[in-house]
Amino acid sequence: MASVSMSVDEVPDKELLARHVKGDPHAFSALVNRHRDRMWAVAMRTLGDPEEAADALQDACLSAFRAAARFRGDAAVTTWLHRIVVNACLDRVRRKSVRPATPMGDDATFDAVAPKMPDPTDAHGVSLDVQSALAQLPFEQRAALVLVDMMGYSVDDAAQVMQVPPGTIKSRCARGRARLAPLLAHHRNRQGRKNVGGVEGGGMPR
Amino acid sequence: MNPAHLDYETLADLAEGLLDDDQAASATAHLDTCAECRERSEELSDVSRILAEAPVPAMPADLASRIDSALAAESMHNAAVVSLEQRRRRRHWQILSAAAAAAVVIGGGGTVGYQLLGGSSEGGHTTAASTPVQDAPDRRPHSPGQNTPGAAPSPNATQGPRYTVLRSGTDYRAGTLARQITGLAGDGGRQLTLSGGDTADKLAGCVDRIAQGKIPKVVDVASYEGSPATVIALPTERSGGLDVWVVGPGCSSSHTDLIKHEKIER
Repeated sequence: MASVSMSVDEVPDKELLARHVKGDPHAFSALVNRHRDRMWAVAMRTLGDPEEAADALQDACLSAFRAAARFRGDAAVTTWLHRIVVNACLDRVRRKSVRPATPMGDDATFDAVAPKMPDPTDAHGVSLDVQSALAQLPFEQRAALVLVDMMGYSVDDAAQVMQVPPGTIKSRCARGRARLAPLLAHHRNRQGRKNVGGVEGGGMPR
Repeated sequence: MNPAHLDYETLADLAEGLLDDDQAASATAHLDTCAECRERSEELSDVSRILAEAPVPAMPADLASRIDSALAAESMHNAAVVSLEQRRRRRHWQILSAAAAAAVVIGGGGTVGYQLLGGSSEGGHTTAASTPVQDAPDRRPHSPGQNTPGAAPSPNATQGPRYTVLRSGTDYRAGTLARQITGLAGDGGRQLTLSGGDTADKLAGCVDRIAQGKIPKVVDVASYEGSPATVIALPTERSGGLDVWVVGPGCSSSHTDLIKHEKIER
């Protein structure tokens, strides 16, 4: 792709989206390629199951492809994309609402991804525990924590993604953290307070 | 005031500034004197840290290509757009030549398919260019009806556009445009028709505007110097020459969006 995307990489998100709406067949793929990893992280953390997350991400990409003409440009394209991902996740959760949130995917799935992580034993365990703890939260609290604590969104940006007032995001985060604290307490002892670098998905969207 | 310990909820609300002034003052005063609650409060801030540091399981290996396929199918639903195979082939644009170029062939009768142009001796990947498409695009009002791949060129304008729309994946470059386009034009002879969708209509309008009644030797929806562009090559008065227009995605029946115009004589 390098030959084609050399200059495409420098095209702003909004311009790529506009080109897509005008019929440029390559623009939307370029946009998705650019943001796919973070969209995946949101879907994976919100749903907790790799297969569900993959389906949700695909749903979201198709929704965004179709809805591009209705993008009004009052928010960042990433905000709009993440809103669509969160909504796709919510759709999946509602469709499966009979099933209590599965704490985690089957072990095989996580064993499969474990070797790719920097520190297999510890990271694997934390990942599992975090996933299982998050699964106990209502969707709204989970999504708020995924955006703010895990993805590094500001409260205001998360509010734009979820289309609720900032105070609602704060409240959902507070409730969520209160419920997670006892569930994750053992990790702070095991991990100590070392400040591990390489925060996954940290930093501001845009 | 309240000798009872603070629960996680109160502490979390305090941290987010959600308590009213009285509650906040009382909670802060309690924290000053209670090590247990301070510890609890630290547990809460550690929740955010643990969440931030938890690694996200890697994206399934096939997901990216799955999404690309889904998007390609969606594109096809709307208009004649690059196929996944062609998309992949774009990575190999350097080795692409006329022989390996694939054409999107859309008959007026509503059939959609791909066809390889010319020989395929270069590169085994050229055989992968067959993708079935389920839904036929809407017929254009002036649908020519009976055009078939390989039909003889006809200058009859009333039959609608008659030319090959390539999506060769070529990234044309200023210095090599002549060689790149001559290779494609040399393979000409197939006169096909594009129809269906806004994009196709827009492209047809663009080609009509530039061709001025001539039949293009090449219409290639590709890129130029790395940016999306359509390359249209028209025959010149002198036999064998090409009148090459490179236009941007904005080209339509009313606007050229010209990037480059060059005449190539042989």
